[in-house]
Amino acid sequence: MSTPPTPPLPTLTGLLEGRVAIVTGAGQGVGEGIAAAMAQAGASVIIAARRAETGEPAAERIRAAGGSASFVRCDVTARADVDAAVAFSIEQFGRLDVMVHNAVSPPGPPRAIQEVDDETIALQIATSTTAAFHCAQAAFPHLQADYGSLILLTSPAGIEGSGNLPLYGAVKGAQRGLLKSLAREWGPSGVRVNAIAPVAWTPAMDVATAANPTLEARLRGRTPLQRIGDPEADIGPVAVFLASPLSRHMTGQTLAVDGGRYLGL
Amino acid sequence: MVSDPERELAGMARRTVLIVGGGDPADSIAAGLDPTAWDVRRLDDDAQPWTDRTVTDALPDLTELDLVVHARYPAAARHRASLMDLTIDDWNEQADAPLEAAIRLARGAHPLLAEASGTIVFLVPLMASAGGEGFAAMATAAEGIRIFAKSLAKTWGDDGIRAHAITLDPSAFLDDANAAGMAEANSLHDPPLGRVPDLAREVAPIVAALTTDDFTALIGASLVVDGGLWMPG
Repeated sequence: MSTPPTPPLPTLTGLLEGRVAIVTGAGQGVGEGIAAAMAQAGASVIIAARRAETGEPAAERIRAAGGSASFVRCDVTARADVDAAVAFSIEQFGRLDVMVHNAVSPPGPPRAIQEVDDETIALQIATSTTAAFHCAQAAFPHLQADYGSLILLTSPAGIEGSGNLPLYGAVKGAQRGLLKSLAREWGPSGVRVNAIAPVAWTPAMDVATAANPTLEARLRGRTPLQRIGDPEADIGPVAVFLASPLSRHMTGQTLAVDGGRYLGL
Repeated sequence: MVSDPERELAGMARRTVLIVGGGDPADSIAAGLDPTAWDVRRLDDDAQPWTDRTVTDALPDLTELDLVVHARYPAAARHRASLMDLTIDDWNEQADAPLEAAIRLARGAHPLLAEASGTIVFLVPLMASAGGEGFAAMATAAEGIRIFAKSLAKTWGDDGIRAHAITLDPSAFLDDANAAGMAEANSLHDPPLGRVPDLAREVAPIVAALTTDDFTALIGASLVVDGGLWMPG
Protein backbone atom coordinates (compact mmCIF):
# COMPACT_ATOMS: atom_id res chain seq x y z
CA MET A 1 0.00 0.00 0.00
CA SER A 2 1.50 3.34 -1.02
CA THR A 3 1.57 6.24 1.41
CA PRO A 4 -1.09 8.82 0.59
CA PRO A 5 -0.11 12.47 0.17
CA THR A 6 0.31 14.33 3.44
CA PRO A 7 0.40 18.13 3.63
CA PRO A 8 3.50 19.81 5.07
CA LEU A 9 3.32 20.77 8.71
CA PRO A 10 3.17 24.52 9.41
CA THR A 11 5.54 25.95 11.97
CA LEU A 12 4.52 25.76 15.61
CA THR A 13 6.96 28.48 16.61
CA GLY A 14 5.67 30.88 19.21
CA LEU A 15 2.46 29.06 20.13
CA LEU A 16 3.82 28.14 23.55
CA GLU A 17 6.45 30.85 23.95
CA GLY A 18 7.25 31.43 27.62
CA ARG A 19 5.25 28.42 28.76
CA VAL A 20 6.60 25.48 30.77
CA ALA A 21 5.40 21.92 30.29
CA ILE A 22 6.00 18.63 32.07
CA VAL A 23 5.52 15.55 29.90
CA THR A 24 5.54 12.21 31.70
CA GLY A 25 6.83 9.14 29.92
CA ALA A 26 8.59 11.40 27.44
CA GLY A 27 11.70 9.29 26.99
CA GLN A 28 10.29 7.75 23.85
CA GLY A 29 7.24 7.31 21.66
CA VAL A 30 4.25 9.63 21.86
CA GLY A 31 5.56 11.36 24.99
CA GLU A 32 8.83 12.28 23.30
CA GLY A 33 6.94 13.44 20.22
CA ILE A 34 4.73 15.70 22.30
CA ALA A 35 7.72 17.09 24.20
CA ALA A 36 9.57 17.80 20.95
CA ALA A 37 6.55 19.53 19.41
CA MET A 38 5.99 21.65 22.51
CA ALA A 39 9.65 22.64 22.53
CA GLN A 40 9.40 23.58 18.87
CA ALA A 41 6.41 25.74 19.83
CA GLY A 42 8.61 27.60 22.30
CA ALA A 43 7.88 25.85 25.57
CA SER A 44 10.49 24.87 28.10
CA VAL A 45 9.91 21.15 28.39
CA ILE A 46 10.60 18.87 31.32
CA ILE A 47 11.05 15.26 30.31
CA ALA A 48 9.70 13.35 33.30
CA ALA A 49 10.72 9.76 32.68
CA ARG A 50 11.45 6.75 34.83
CA ARG A 51 14.61 5.76 32.99
CA ALA A 52 17.55 8.12 32.49
CA GLU A 53 18.77 6.01 29.56
CA THR A 54 15.76 7.16 27.54
CA GLY A 55 14.96 10.47 29.23
CA GLU A 56 18.40 12.05 28.96
CA PRO A 57 18.83 11.32 25.22
CA ALA A 58 15.30 12.56 24.53
CA ALA A 59 16.09 15.86 26.23
CA GLU A 60 19.40 16.06 24.35
CA ARG A 61 17.68 15.51 21.01
CA ILE A 62 15.33 18.41 21.74
CA ARG A 63 18.19 20.68 22.79
CA ALA A 64 20.14 19.70 19.68
CA ALA A 65 17.16 20.86 17.61
CA GLY A 66 17.26 24.23 19.35
CA GLY A 67 14.62 23.63 21.98
CA SER A 68 14.66 23.88 25.76
CA ALA A 69 14.44 20.54 27.54
CA SER A 70 15.46 19.11 30.90
CA PHE A 71 15.31 15.55 32.15
CA VAL A 72 13.91 14.75 35.59
CA ARG A 73 13.78 11.16 36.77
CA CYS A 74 10.19 10.43 37.66
CA ASP A 75 8.27 7.30 38.49
CA VAL A 76 4.73 8.63 38.13
CA THR A 77 3.38 6.06 40.57
CA ALA A 78 5.43 7.70 43.34
CA ARG A 79 3.91 10.96 44.55
CA ALA A 80 7.29 12.21 45.77
CA ASP A 81 8.70 11.88 42.24
CA VAL A 82 5.79 13.80 40.71
CA ASP A 83 6.08 16.49 43.37
CA ALA A 84 9.81 16.72 42.65
CA ALA A 85 9.19 17.20 38.93
CA VAL A 86 6.75 20.01 39.68
CA ALA A 87 9.18 21.54 42.18
CA PHE A 88 11.91 21.44 39.53
CA SER A 89 9.66 23.36 37.17
CA ILE A 90 8.97 26.05 39.76
CA GLU A 91 12.59 26.31 40.86
CA GLN A 92 14.00 26.47 37.34
CA PHE A 93 11.34 28.46 35.52
CA GLY A 94 9.09 29.93 38.19
CA ARG A 95 5.98 28.44 36.70
CA LEU A 96 4.20 25.37 35.35
CA ASP A 97 1.64 25.85 32.59
CA VAL A 98 1.08 22.40 31.14
CA MET A 99 1.03 18.94 32.67
CA VAL A 100 0.88 16.09 30.16
CA HIS A 101 0.36 12.66 31.68
CA ASN A 102 1.44 10.24 29.02
CA ALA A 103 3.34 7.55 30.91
CA VAL A 104 1.92 4.05 30.65
CA SER A 105 2.82 0.65 31.92
CA PRO A 106 3.18 -2.06 29.26
CA PRO A 107 -0.24 -3.71 28.96
CA GLY A 108 1.28 -7.12 28.26
CA PRO A 109 0.23 -9.55 25.56
CA PRO A 110 -3.36 -9.81 24.34
CA ARG A 111 -5.42 -11.97 26.69
CA ALA A 112 -8.76 -12.23 28.45
CA ILE A 113 -9.16 -10.43 31.77
CA GLN A 114 -9.23 -13.66 33.78
CA GLU A 115 -5.76 -14.48 32.44
CA VAL A 116 -4.07 -11.19 33.36
CA ASP A 117 -1.54 -11.52 36.17
CA ASP A 118 -1.87 -9.58 39.43
CA GLU A 119 1.27 -7.51 38.85
CA THR A 120 -0.05 -6.20 35.54
CA ILE A 121 -3.36 -5.24 37.16
CA ALA A 122 -1.57 -3.33 39.89
CA LEU A 123 0.82 -1.57 37.51
CA GLN A 124 -1.85 -0.61 35.00
CA ILE A 125 -4.03 0.99 37.66
CA ALA A 126 -1.07 2.66 39.36
CA THR A 127 0.32 4.14 36.16
CA SER A 128 -2.90 5.28 34.58
CA THR A 129 -5.27 6.28 37.38
CA THR A 130 -3.21 6.73 40.54
CA ALA A 131 -0.55 8.59 38.58
CA ALA A 132 -3.17 10.76 36.88
CA PHE A 133 -4.35 11.74 40.36
CA HIS A 134 -0.77 12.56 41.39
CA CYS A 135 -0.11 14.63 38.27
CA ALA A 136 -3.40 16.50 38.46
CA GLN A 137 -3.19 17.31 42.15
CA ALA A 138 0.49 18.28 42.10
CA ALA A 139 0.11 20.52 39.07
CA PHE A 140 -3.18 22.30 39.72
CA PRO A 141 -1.97 24.99 42.15
CA HIS A 142 0.45 26.17 39.46
CA LEU A 143 -1.79 25.61 36.45
CA GLN A 144 -4.40 27.96 37.84
CA ALA A 145 -1.93 30.83 37.99
CA ASP A 146 -2.06 31.52 34.25
CA TYR A 147 -4.71 29.55 32.35
CA GLY A 148 -2.83 26.27 32.46
CA SER A 149 -3.79 22.98 30.94
CA LEU A 150 -3.84 19.32 31.95
CA ILE A 151 -3.63 16.84 29.08
CA LEU A 152 -4.12 13.11 29.54
CA LEU A 153 -3.04 10.57 26.94
CA THR A 154 -5.83 8.03 26.76
CA SER A 155 -6.59 5.56 24.00
CA PRO A 156 -9.35 4.55 21.61
CA ALA A 157 -9.49 1.46 23.85
CA GLY A 158 -10.64 3.78 26.62
CA ILE A 159 -13.67 4.70 24.54
CA GLU A 160 -14.72 1.51 22.82
CA GLY A 161 -13.12 -1.05 25.12
CA SER A 162 -10.66 -3.68 23.98
CA GLY A 163 -11.16 -7.38 23.55
CA ASN A 164 -7.42 -7.98 23.46
CA LEU A 165 -6.47 -5.63 26.27
CA PRO A 166 -9.52 -5.36 28.53
CA LEU A 167 -7.55 -4.02 31.48
CA TYR A 168 -5.92 -1.34 29.35
CA GLY A 169 -9.33 -0.27 28.07
CA ALA A 170 -10.63 -0.01 31.64
CA VAL A 171 -7.83 2.18 32.97
CA LYS A 172 -7.83 4.39 29.87
CA GLY A 173 -11.59 4.77 30.19
CA ALA A 174 -11.12 5.66 33.84
CA GLN A 175 -8.87 8.53 32.82
CA ARG A 176 -11.73 9.96 30.77
CA GLY A 177 -14.03 9.92 33.78
CA LEU A 178 -11.38 11.87 35.65
CA LEU A 179 -10.78 14.42 32.91
CA LYS A 180 -14.46 15.22 32.45
CA SER A 181 -14.94 15.68 36.18
CA LEU A 182 -11.88 17.89 36.46
CA ALA A 183 -13.00 19.91 33.45
CA ARG A 184 -16.16 20.74 35.41
CA GLU A 185 -14.32 21.27 38.67
CA TRP A 186 -11.47 23.39 37.35
CA GLY A 187 -13.28 25.28 34.62
CA PRO A 188 -14.11 28.26 36.87
CA SER A 189 -10.40 28.69 37.61
CA GLY A 190 -9.54 28.82 33.92
CA VAL A 191 -7.69 25.50 33.91
CA ARG A 192 -8.64 23.28 31.00
CA VAL A 193 -8.50 19.49 30.97
CA ASN A 194 -8.48 17.50 27.73
CA ALA A 195 -7.27 14.19 26.37
CA ILE A 196 -5.77 12.74 23.23
CA ALA A 197 -6.51 9.21 22.04
CA PRO A 198 -3.73 8.55 19.54
CA VAL A 199 -2.87 5.82 17.10
CA ALA A 200 0.79 6.34 16.34
CA TRP A 201 4.17 4.71 15.96
CA THR A 202 5.44 3.91 19.42
CA PRO A 203 7.91 1.34 20.74
CA ALA A 204 4.88 -0.82 21.56
CA MET A 205 3.61 -0.47 17.99
CA ASP A 206 7.07 -1.37 16.69
CA VAL A 207 7.01 -4.57 18.74
CA ALA A 208 3.46 -5.41 17.68
CA THR A 209 4.13 -4.93 13.97
CA ALA A 210 7.41 -6.82 14.16
CA ALA A 211 5.61 -9.73 15.79
CA ASN A 212 2.75 -9.61 13.31
CA PRO A 213 3.96 -8.70 9.81
CA THR A 214 0.45 -8.16 8.45
CA LEU A 215 -0.62 -5.80 11.25
CA GLU A 216 0.61 -2.56 9.71
CA ALA A 217 -1.08 -3.20 6.37
CA ARG A 218 -4.33 -4.21 8.08
CA LEU A 219 -4.25 -1.17 10.33
CA ARG A 220 -3.55 1.17 7.45
CA GLY A 221 -6.29 -0.49 5.43
CA ARG A 222 -8.79 0.34 8.14
CA THR A 223 -7.58 3.93 8.50
CA PRO A 224 -9.03 6.51 6.08
CA LEU A 225 -5.78 8.49 5.99
CA GLN A 226 -3.98 5.18 5.37
CA ARG A 227 -1.02 5.71 7.65
CA ILE A 228 -0.09 5.38 11.29
CA GLY A 229 0.59 8.65 13.06
CA ASP A 230 4.03 10.05 13.74
CA PRO A 231 4.42 10.97 17.42
CA GLU A 232 6.05 14.35 16.81
CA ALA A 233 4.52 15.44 13.50
CA ASP A 234 0.97 14.12 13.99
CA ILE A 235 0.29 13.80 17.72
CA GLY A 236 2.58 16.57 18.99
CA PRO A 237 0.85 19.47 17.21
CA VAL A 238 -2.51 18.44 18.64
CA ALA A 239 -1.01 18.51 22.12
CA VAL A 240 0.40 21.97 21.34
CA PHE A 241 -3.06 23.04 20.22
CA LEU A 242 -4.63 21.77 23.46
CA ALA A 243 -1.95 23.50 25.53
CA SER A 244 -2.25 26.80 23.70
CA PRO A 245 -4.92 29.51 23.76
CA LEU A 246 -6.00 28.30 20.31
CA SER A 247 -8.15 25.80 22.20
CA ARG A 248 -9.14 28.19 24.99
CA HIS A 249 -12.84 27.31 24.65
CA MET A 250 -12.28 23.54 24.80
CA THR A 251 -12.31 21.49 27.95
CA GLY A 252 -13.38 17.99 28.91
CA GLN A 253 -12.79 16.70 25.39
CA THR A 254 -11.02 13.66 24.01
CA LEU A 255 -9.53 14.13 20.56
CA ALA A 256 -8.99 10.91 18.62
CA VAL A 257 -5.81 11.55 16.61
CA ASP A 258 -5.88 8.36 14.65
CA GLY A 259 -6.12 9.09 10.93
CA GLY A 260 -9.83 8.37 11.17
CA ARG A 261 -9.31 4.79 12.40
CA TYR A 262 -12.05 5.06 15.02
CA LEU A 263 -14.64 7.16 13.25
CA GLY A 264 -17.46 5.34 14.97
CA LEU A 265 -16.54 6.40 18.48
CA MET B 1 -31.44 -18.57 29.79
CA VAL B 2 -35.23 -18.81 29.77
CA SER B 3 -35.20 -21.08 26.73
CA ASP B 4 -32.81 -23.57 28.25
CA PRO B 5 -34.60 -26.91 27.71
CA GLU B 6 -33.47 -28.33 31.02
CA ARG B 7 -34.89 -25.39 32.91
CA GLU B 8 -38.15 -25.55 31.01
CA LEU B 9 -38.48 -29.26 31.72
CA ALA B 10 -37.76 -28.53 35.35
CA GLY B 11 -40.69 -26.16 35.51
CA MET B 12 -38.75 -22.94 35.12
CA ALA B 13 -36.52 -23.17 38.17
CA ARG B 14 -35.57 -19.84 39.55
CA ARG B 15 -32.51 -18.34 38.02
CA THR B 16 -29.67 -17.03 40.14
CA VAL B 17 -28.62 -13.42 40.26
CA LEU B 18 -25.75 -11.98 42.26
CA ILE B 19 -26.15 -8.32 43.12
CA VAL B 20 -22.95 -6.66 44.26
CA GLY B 21 -22.97 -3.45 46.27
CA GLY B 22 -24.82 -1.94 49.19
CA GLY B 23 -27.48 0.77 49.28
CA ASP B 24 -29.05 2.03 46.09
CA PRO B 25 -29.22 1.26 43.28
CA ALA B 26 -28.31 -2.29 44.35
CA ASP B 27 -31.04 -2.51 46.99
CA SER B 28 -33.80 -1.32 44.68
CA ILE B 29 -32.74 -3.56 41.83
CA ALA B 30 -32.79 -6.51 44.20
CA ALA B 31 -36.26 -5.51 45.38
CA GLY B 32 -37.49 -5.08 41.84
CA LEU B 33 -36.60 -8.52 40.54
CA ASP B 34 -39.47 -11.02 40.59
CA PRO B 35 -38.75 -13.38 43.51
CA THR B 36 -40.59 -16.21 41.79
CA ALA B 37 -38.19 -15.95 38.86
CA TRP B 38 -34.97 -15.00 40.60
CA ASP B 39 -32.95 -16.38 43.47
CA VAL B 40 -31.37 -13.13 44.59
CA ARG B 41 -27.97 -13.38 46.24
CA ARG B 42 -26.22 -10.34 47.65
CA LEU B 43 -22.68 -9.27 48.33
CA ASP B 44 -22.81 -5.82 49.82
CA ASP B 45 -19.68 -5.43 51.90
CA ASP B 46 -18.26 -2.22 50.50
CA ALA B 47 -15.41 -2.07 52.97
CA GLN B 48 -13.49 -5.25 52.25
CA PRO B 49 -10.88 -5.42 49.51
CA TRP B 50 -11.94 -7.75 46.75
CA THR B 51 -10.01 -10.67 45.39
CA ASP B 52 -10.71 -13.06 42.56
CA ARG B 53 -12.12 -15.44 45.19
CA THR B 54 -14.45 -13.09 47.03
CA VAL B 55 -17.55 -14.44 45.30
CA THR B 56 -16.76 -18.12 45.68
CA ASP B 57 -15.49 -17.70 49.25
CA ALA B 58 -18.62 -15.83 50.32
CA LEU B 59 -21.07 -17.97 48.38
CA PRO B 60 -19.46 -21.40 48.07
CA ASP B 61 -22.74 -23.07 47.11
CA LEU B 62 -22.95 -21.21 43.81
CA THR B 63 -22.39 -23.42 40.80
CA GLU B 64 -23.57 -21.01 38.14
CA LEU B 65 -24.81 -17.47 37.72
CA ASP B 66 -27.42 -16.33 35.24
CA LEU B 67 -26.92 -12.69 36.07
CA VAL B 68 -24.44 -10.51 37.92
CA VAL B 69 -25.38 -6.91 38.67
CA HIS B 70 -22.54 -4.69 39.78
CA ALA B 71 -23.34 -1.47 41.66
CA ARG B 72 -20.55 -1.32 44.18
CA TYR B 73 -19.27 2.15 44.96
CA PRO B 74 -17.96 2.92 48.43
CA ALA B 75 -19.93 5.28 50.61
CA ALA B 76 -17.02 7.69 50.78
CA ALA B 77 -17.10 8.15 47.00
CA ARG B 78 -20.73 9.22 47.13
CA HIS B 79 -19.98 12.50 48.84
CA ARG B 80 -18.96 15.64 47.02
CA ALA B 81 -15.29 16.56 47.50
CA SER B 82 -12.83 18.57 45.50
CA LEU B 83 -9.99 16.56 44.02
CA MET B 84 -7.59 18.87 45.83
CA ASP B 85 -9.10 17.80 49.15
CA LEU B 86 -8.59 14.08 48.57
CA THR B 87 -5.65 12.26 50.14
CA ILE B 88 -3.98 9.41 48.32
CA ASP B 89 -5.79 7.04 50.69
CA ASP B 90 -9.08 8.67 49.72
CA TRP B 91 -8.24 8.23 46.06
CA ASN B 92 -7.31 4.60 46.48
CA GLU B 93 -10.50 3.91 48.43
CA GLN B 94 -12.82 5.81 46.08
CA ALA B 95 -11.27 5.29 42.64
CA ASP B 96 -8.59 2.64 42.32
CA ALA B 97 -10.00 0.03 44.71
CA PRO B 98 -13.56 0.08 43.28
CA LEU B 99 -12.19 -0.23 39.75
CA GLU B 100 -10.00 -3.14 40.73
CA ALA B 101 -12.87 -4.73 42.66
CA ALA B 102 -15.06 -4.70 39.54
CA ILE B 103 -12.24 -6.34 37.60
CA ARG B 104 -11.78 -8.93 40.35
CA LEU B 105 -15.52 -9.57 40.43
CA ALA B 106 -15.53 -10.27 36.71
CA ARG B 107 -12.54 -12.60 36.96
CA GLY B 108 -14.09 -14.51 39.84
CA ALA B 109 -17.55 -14.70 38.30
CA HIS B 110 -16.37 -15.75 34.85
CA PRO B 111 -16.62 -19.53 35.30
CA LEU B 112 -20.01 -19.22 37.03
CA LEU B 113 -21.36 -17.01 34.26
CA ALA B 114 -19.93 -19.27 31.56
CA GLU B 115 -21.67 -22.25 33.15
CA ALA B 116 -25.06 -20.58 32.69
CA SER B 117 -24.34 -18.49 29.56
CA GLY B 118 -25.08 -15.61 31.87
CA THR B 119 -25.11 -11.84 31.69
CA ILE B 120 -23.16 -9.26 33.66
CA VAL B 121 -24.55 -5.74 33.99
CA PHE B 122 -22.64 -2.82 35.46
CA LEU B 123 -24.70 0.06 36.83
CA VAL B 124 -22.85 3.36 36.58
CA PRO B 125 -23.73 6.93 37.52
CA LEU B 126 -24.03 9.61 34.87
CA MET B 127 -20.81 11.14 36.18
CA ALA B 128 -18.92 8.30 34.50
CA SER B 129 -19.50 9.51 30.97
CA ALA B 130 -20.43 13.13 31.67
CA GLY B 131 -18.13 14.01 34.55
CA GLY B 132 -19.19 15.26 37.94
CA GLU B 133 -17.91 18.28 39.81
CA GLY B 134 -16.77 17.02 43.18
CA PHE B 135 -17.03 13.38 42.14
CA ALA B 136 -13.79 12.88 40.23
CA ALA B 137 -12.87 9.70 42.09
CA MET B 138 -16.27 8.07 41.63
CA ALA B 139 -16.37 9.11 37.97
CA THR B 140 -12.90 7.68 37.40
CA ALA B 141 -13.89 4.28 38.75
CA ALA B 142 -17.28 4.31 37.07
CA GLU B 143 -16.07 5.25 33.59
CA GLY B 144 -13.36 2.62 33.82
CA ILE B 145 -16.05 0.11 34.75
CA ARG B 146 -18.37 1.26 31.93
CA ILE B 147 -15.66 0.75 29.34
CA PHE B 148 -14.63 -2.50 31.01
CA ALA B 149 -18.12 -3.83 30.24
CA LYS B 150 -17.48 -3.28 26.54
CA SER B 151 -14.16 -5.10 26.76
CA LEU B 152 -15.79 -8.03 28.53
CA ALA B 153 -18.50 -8.19 25.88
CA LYS B 154 -15.85 -8.49 23.19
CA THR B 155 -13.81 -11.07 25.07
CA TRP B 156 -16.50 -13.24 26.58
CA GLY B 157 -18.87 -13.58 23.64
CA ASP B 158 -17.23 -16.87 22.75
CA ASP B 159 -18.07 -18.11 26.25
CA GLY B 160 -21.74 -17.25 25.78
CA ILE B 161 -21.54 -14.41 28.29
CA ARG B 162 -23.04 -11.03 27.58
CA ALA B 163 -21.88 -7.81 29.24
CA HIS B 164 -23.56 -4.41 29.38
CA ALA B 165 -23.48 -1.14 31.27
CA ILE B 166 -26.47 0.93 32.28
CA THR B 167 -26.02 4.60 33.06
CA LEU B 168 -28.38 5.93 35.72
CA ASP B 169 -29.22 9.38 37.00
CA PRO B 170 -26.81 10.42 39.78
CA SER B 171 -29.68 10.36 42.28
CA ALA B 172 -29.67 6.57 41.98
CA PHE B 173 -26.32 6.58 43.79
CA LEU B 174 -26.32 9.79 45.83
CA ASP B 175 -28.44 11.17 48.61
CA ASP B 176 -30.49 14.29 47.94
CA ALA B 177 -27.87 16.69 49.24
CA ASN B 178 -25.09 15.26 47.12
CA ALA B 179 -27.26 14.82 44.04
CA ALA B 180 -28.46 18.41 44.19
CA GLY B 181 -27.57 20.27 41.04
CA MET B 182 -26.26 17.25 39.17
CA ALA B 183 -29.25 17.08 36.82
CA GLU B 184 -29.05 20.78 36.07
CA ALA B 185 -25.34 20.44 35.36
CA ASN B 186 -26.07 17.96 32.61
CA SER B 187 -29.29 19.09 31.01
CA LEU B 188 -31.18 22.24 30.18
CA HIS B 189 -34.48 20.40 30.09
CA ASP B 190 -36.49 18.38 32.57
CA PRO B 191 -36.57 14.64 31.96
CA PRO B 192 -39.15 13.94 29.22
CA LEU B 193 -40.40 11.12 31.41
CA GLY B 194 -41.36 13.78 33.92
CA ARG B 195 -39.17 12.29 36.63
CA VAL B 196 -36.17 10.06 37.03
CA PRO B 197 -36.98 6.37 36.63
CA ASP B 198 -38.04 4.27 39.61
CA LEU B 199 -35.21 1.82 40.12
CA ALA B 200 -37.25 -1.16 41.32
CA ARG B 201 -40.24 -0.70 39.03
CA GLU B 202 -38.59 0.61 35.87
CA VAL B 203 -34.88 -0.25 35.87
CA ALA B 204 -34.92 -3.75 37.38
CA PRO B 205 -37.15 -5.08 34.55
CA ILE B 206 -34.69 -3.74 32.00
CA VAL B 207 -31.84 -5.50 33.76
CA ALA B 208 -33.84 -8.73 33.79
CA ALA B 209 -34.84 -8.34 30.17
CA LEU B 210 -31.20 -8.12 29.10
CA THR B 211 -30.80 -11.77 30.15
CA THR B 212 -33.55 -13.07 27.90
CA ASP B 213 -33.34 -14.49 24.40
CA ASP B 214 -35.09 -11.40 23.08
CA PHE B 215 -31.86 -9.50 23.66
CA THR B 216 -29.36 -12.06 22.40
CA ALA B 217 -28.07 -9.72 19.71
CA LEU B 218 -27.49 -6.85 22.10
CA ILE B 219 -23.80 -7.06 22.96
CA GLY B 220 -21.69 -4.64 24.94
CA ALA B 221 -24.48 -2.08 25.15
CA SER B 222 -24.04 1.11 27.09
CA LEU B 223 -27.63 2.04 27.85
CA VAL B 224 -28.76 5.29 29.44
CA VAL B 225 -31.86 4.83 31.60
CA ASP B 226 -32.50 8.25 33.06
CA GLY B 227 -35.91 9.26 31.79
CA GLY B 228 -34.37 11.18 28.91
CA LEU B 229 -32.53 13.71 31.01
CA TRP B 230 -29.33 13.17 29.09
CA MET B 231 -29.29 11.98 25.49
CA PRO B 232 -25.72 11.30 24.40
CA GLY B 233 -24.87 11.26 20.72
